[in-house]
Amino acid sequence: MSDTGQIRFRAATEEPPATRWTLIGLAFAGLAILVFAPLIAVFVEALAEGAIEAVRSLASPDARDAIRLTLTIAAISVPLNALFGVAAAWFITKFDFRGKAFLITLIDLPFSVSPVVAGLCIVLMFGANSAIGGWLVAQGYPIVFAMPGIILATMFVTFPFVARELIPVMIEQGRAEEEAALTLGASGWRVFWTVTLPNIRWALLYGVLLCNARAMGEFGAVAVVSGKIRGETATIPTTIEMLYQEYLSVAAFSLAAVLTLLALLTLLLKTLLELRHADQLAANHRH
Amino acid sequence: MSKPLIHRSPMPGLGLSMGITLTMLSLVVLLPIGALLLKGANYGLAGIWETVNRERVWSALFLSFRLSLFAALFNLIFGVMLAWVLVRYRFPGRRILDAAVDLPFALPTAVAGISLTALYAPNGAFGSLAAEIGWKIAYTQWGIFIALVFVGLPFVTRTVQPVVEEIEREVEEASATLGASRMHTIRHVILPMLMPAALTGFALALARAVGEYGSVIFIAGNIPLVTEIAPLLIIIQLEEFNYDAAAAIGIAMLLISFAMLLVINLIQVWSRRRIGYV
Repeated sequence: MSDTGQIRFRAATEEPPATRWTLIGLAFAGLAILVFAPLIAVFVEALAEGAIEAVRSLASPDARDAIRLTLTIAAISVPLNALFGVAAAWFITKFDFRGKAFLITLIDLPFSVSPVVAGLCIVLMFGANSAIGGWLVAQGYPIVFAMPGIILATMFVTFPFVARELIPVMIEQGRAEEEAALTLGASGWRVFWTVTLPNIRWALLYGVLLCNARAMGEFGAVAVVSGKIRGETATIPTTIEMLYQEYLSVAAFSLAAVLTLLALLTLLLKTLLELRHADQLAANHRH
Repeated sequence: MSKPLIHRSPMPGLGLSMGITLTMLSLVVLLPIGALLLKGANYGLAGIWETVNRERVWSALFLSFRLSLFAALFNLIFGVMLAWVLVRYRFPGRRILDAAVDLPFALPTAVAGISLTALYAPNGAFGSLAAEIGWKIAYTQWGIFIALVFVGLPFVTRTVQPVVEEIEREVEEASATLGASRMHTIRHVILPMLMPAALTGFALALARAVGEYGSVIFIAGNIPLVTEIAPLLIIIQLEEFNYDAAAAIGIAMLLISFAMLLVINLIQVWSRRRIGYV
């Protein structure tokens, strides 16, 4: 009831305004404490001794080596996972075979394995005291405590991202367009480049975006396999840990701020893709 | 007549796409997991049991699963509420809230770890407030709980949101015209519809929290028997080159998280059957 004495009706499918605003308030408060506060804290800590100090710490050899290594790792593992994602989505959606559901479960498996256990698996498979690892070390190609191990660990934890994004989109689009192109005499590759790829490009970009964010930020799996050798196998996240444990707070948080900016950029691009190309992304694109 | 393994198809690229898929899947995921299981098989069940059946390992496993469960329960309630608010209400700042839900997915775990520690340490912004009432958060189990809530935050919201979007208003109107109060409609009509999706999100948040390492180790304090999580034990064993023990704990974690996912999947099947809504 309002002050003027008029009776205001509330739709039967709405909550009373008091309830509604309480819930909205709780949502704001919860996200402020859980999400916005940690986000702001990163920048506050990085700038605790001024912007110049933060920038100077990013120019240190440790930080520069870490940034270079992380960019290299992402530049190798993300395209490989994109290749896998496209191949797996093509195989799963363009052909009918037995065991398809099981194959999809296997592709999703890395999401239910702890990153530390993932790293452990790679150490046990390729470590110096395993059969394969020992042989490779003898040939001069160490995997664990070297770059290939970090790449494998990164690929393990990001493995499902692209495939999961593409499979629902390609199922929805069906095979009719490709079949039409084939009957018109196009070659297999031509069908892929001119028919399939334009249809899935936004979903592919979306998957690559998420895959890249995780690849650059992965900590647990990489910490296990990298050995964290300064200047050689220390990525940005493992360098953050080392700096933090040496009480070099500004240096640690400055590197953390770089990754936070990357995360914010990823979210921005992701939101833009969802707004502009929602129809070409997986229907359940929120996961 | 048995079904062929692969149906004949006019589509090109069968060999190539199957080859890339199976080779990469084997090399990156299946063979390493196989190596872990093989290590466990060589070590033997008795050996695994001997490693796991120690006070420090039990307390770490119990701590990881207990706090993950609490964090996932918190996220279940908060996530359903958040999904409802984001879909049903219009208010300034809604888009920003919606985008912010995904931040825990995008923010690297090590960054979240040191940032939460800075906030909740006794001299941090929230930690000093809590200290005034004698509440210690960082370096206690509360700190681990908060880190696990952070990493699991998006799961329930993101699985429930699409379901809320699809609820037809007619159902709610029917319930209201039949005389149900709004509370009654929410409890007996809306929440049951959201249940399967909410449980799926709950399971995902739980699985994620159990294996979580990066965001937890900074805030946990890592005191054996008190705030030492199971993944950290694996790292400690590896640093001592004790591969058998590391593999034993790793296998125990794998088995328990698969068992939990199985239980939750069964709950989901049961709730779907009971409610008749997918």
